[in-house]
Amino acid sequence: MTDDSIIQTIMDNAVNAGAIFGQLDQEQTDRIVKAVYTAGFNNRIKLAQMAVDETKMGRFEDKVIKNVLATQLVYDDIKNVKTVGIISDDEVSGITEIAQPLGPIFAITPVTNPTSTVIFKILIALKTRNPIIIRPHSNAVNCSVEAAKICYEAALSEDAPENCIQWIPSCTREETQKMMAHKDMALILATGGGGLVNAAYSSGTPALGVGAGNVPVFIEKSADVKYAVSQIMSSKLFDNGTVCASEQAIIVEKDIAQSVKDELVNLGGYFMNPEETAKVSAVVFDSAKKVMSTVTMGKSAKFIAELAGITIPKEAVLLIAPLDGVGEKYPISYEILAPVIAFYVAENYQAAVNLCIDLNYHGGAGHTASIFSNDEKKIREFSMVMNAGRIVVNMPSSQGAVGAIVNTLAASLTLGCGSGGKNITTDNVTAKHLLNIQRIARKRVNQKFDKIDKSLYLNEAYNSEMIEKEYNKNY
Amino acid sequence: MFTLNISGNKKIFTFSTKLDTASCANMDVELMEALGTDSEEVEFDMSGVDYISSIFLRICTMVAKRIGVNKLRVTNSAPGVKKVFKIAGFDEILNVE
Repeated sequence: MTDDSIIQTIMDNAVNAGAIFGQLDQEQTDRIVKAVYTAGFNNRIKLAQMAVDETKMGRFEDKVIKNVLATQLVYDDIKNVKTVGIISDDEVSGITEIAQPLGPIFAITPVTNPTSTVIFKILIALKTRNPIIIRPHSNAVNCSVEAAKICYEAALSEDAPENCIQWIPSCTREETQKMMAHKDMALILATGGGGLVNAAYSSGTPALGVGAGNVPVFIEKSADVKYAVSQIMSSKLFDNGTVCASEQAIIVEKDIAQSVKDELVNLGGYFMNPEETAKVSAVVFDSAKKVMSTVTMGKSAKFIAELAGITIPKEAVLLIAPLDGVGEKYPISYEILAPVIAFYVAENYQAAVNLCIDLNYHGGAGHTASIFSNDEKKIREFSMVMNAGRIVVNMPSSQGAVGAIVNTLAASLTLGCGSGGKNITTDNVTAKHLLNIQRIARKRVNQKFDKIDKSLYLNEAYNSEMIEKEYNKNY
Repeated sequence: MFTLNISGNKKIFTFSTKLDTASCANMDVELMEALGTDSEEVEFDMSGVDYISSIFLRICTMVAKRIGVNKLRVTNSAPGVKKVFKIAGFDEILNVE
């Protein structure tokens, strides 16, 4: 992009596409969505390979699974949802709900899950008849644009409006801000770093952003340790830890600490000594910016160990840092999207939960928390004190938080973090969040209010109790 | 309301279950009296406390100001109480364990 006229052209195209889109009925819309899902799914392997080649992050097999989530599972989740015209009609309340599109959506997509996020956002935008403009991460342009092109061609094959999907291969920060603040932009779907998400919220355009994660996983002593550790390993190692809902710290009660350690080692965990922890901390954490380093994001344990100058067994796949505190002195207590995890031993249940609170609020408020337990009372207690949109129980957090794989949460690659993450929702963002719902409200008189003597409201002698008695009078 | 145990230079205050507005009504005066002027180290033992009011938070501030923030430790908080300190930002000022 070079000047304002290009931005205006993109927006004009989007507005026009939106106007045309608004005429389509549910059946036509669903045909387009199905075609896009099919094309995305059939290109899942090619796009995964492109993503790994371009970003040098994550694992090919897991990128394929991410593309499957973004296509098959998202489609399965939204295919029967009514998103056009009258979506509910209640005779008793007299309320009829009508789903209308929002208008042009600006989709900022990340480097960690590039093609899957592009396809996911396109599917939910098209399902709701919204034109979408993709702004990919600068380190994942080619694979993201290819995903958008594949989706667009498929959409056109089912007579979707021209320019219903657009993409911007290169976009400076200033141009991004202009796009976000454009008067015709209806919504920003922002997945990316904190700065970008904050910029989206500051643009004046409504935004659905995501917050950062810092997921504590508490293995409570009633848990099946062998199962818990296997689930954590499969989750944390998935795509080399690039899922923002992946576990960042394991917290165990001292009674079961040794068995958890043994099981972690059995499955390829390597417990670092303090010196090794310091060396790894120095490469996975940018102490100047106080965030994880992008150099090690999505890289293997072997790569990180070599970079840090430590020697690990060849079978080691996860670097574990035993820590006794949370905060700046302990860099690995921050979110690290790589196969590196903190490990804490707590004196008892209460101390363990308090530690989880500290970790949860240490950069991950509103995102996700995880617990392994067979004690329902403790699961509920834990959930009550966590500030997390999702508390996943006895499941891998990466696969649990994104929904549709090991639970019935909505399939999503945009995880709302509520006010904790400065977001408007804690939901897994999906098609229903991209609609204006209009309500036809038919006359249904409130009989209680209709019958009460209104002059009583003007009489200071009547307090709330006396008024309520009159209001609720059942003649 | 609270019990006081003295162990060397340390004064340990242990509180009752519910530190609501009513039960904290005169606590500040009584606690300050018990604190005296020469407290080296103070511990608020929150074992068994399941509710704290804003008055109690204020009392924590008063005590911290009187003796110095590093000398006050809040210990054995139940997770629900710990969360109150966390949300209110007190864990950044006080030593909440």
